[in-house]
Amino acid sequence: MADRVHSIADVEFGETLPAFDPDTSLDNIKRFGRHVGWGTGRFTDHEIARKEGFPGAIVPGVLSQGFLGAMIHRWAPNAQITVIDTVFRAPVLVDHPHKITGVVTNIDEDEKTVEIDITVTNEANETRVFGTATIKLP
Amino acid sequence: MDTDIEELRERFLNIEFDEVEFEIDGKRFREYALASGETDPKFTEIDHPNFQAPPTFVSTLVGRRNFPPDFPPLNGVGMDAGKQVEWKAPVRDGAKLTGKSHLHDIYTKTGRSGRMVFLVTRMEIYDDGGTHIANADTRTVIRERSSG
Repeated sequence: MADRVHSIADVEFGETLPAFDPDTSLDNIKRFGRHVGWGTGRFTDHEIARKEGFPGAIVPGVLSQGFLGAMIHRWAPNAQITVIDTVFRAPVLVDHPHKITGVVTNIDEDEKTVEIDITVTNEANETRVFGTATIKLP
Repeated sequence: MDTDIEELRERFLNIEFDEVEFEIDGKRFREYALASGETDPKFTEIDHPNFQAPPTFVSTLVGRRNFPPDFPPLNGVGMDAGKQVEWKAPVRDGAKLTGKSHLHDIYTKTGRSGRMVFLVTRMEIYDDGGTHIANADTRTVIRERSSG
């Protein structure tokens, strides 16, 4: 497993990307809410979220997608993400540790593209968000 | 495919129902990048010569409506089931963009709890020169209530 890759020649089929611990703290979600959007109670207030039937405040799906993109950019700084598809299977809870992982599932040397399966799991190792990304590398 | 879904597809797929304009603020996508954990200065430093939004930022651009105004109510509660971005060109600070939305797909899956209807709303995003720079899809799932 390479900590970083710079060209398609560095990528190995089946390799696991370095795991990334996203910032799911309430402070980060509140800041996201103030500056980007999704600042309503279900995202920024545990009590309001519980009243809406959630176990606690939840991370906006658009931010979970951002976490996945950041993991890819940290591993492959020269990569251009061309497609990223995410399935919101279950809520990502604020103030709970989560882990983001990725596995290389296809390499097309001619097109210089790499496909990656991406997953957000919680501390019980349950999948909360999953999907695929296609990146282009030099 | 179920008859009711075939009818919805014939009536609604690929017909534009919303158009909205966005003026992109680099400070907003910088905050998006920082909250996401991006470390590349091209996403986080406004003065960087290649300053641009992370590709997934376009998922935060929201239209006025998710479905056509005459789309019939389905028997269940809608939930955000996922998002897809197809990137074609960078989004820059100060860009003036236009988002045009249509229903891109309608399909079903059946589980133990019954039928789920998936609606895929695609926003095609263009710059002010008319160049198509991204597609942002929102997948909504409706778990149908039992009619019994």
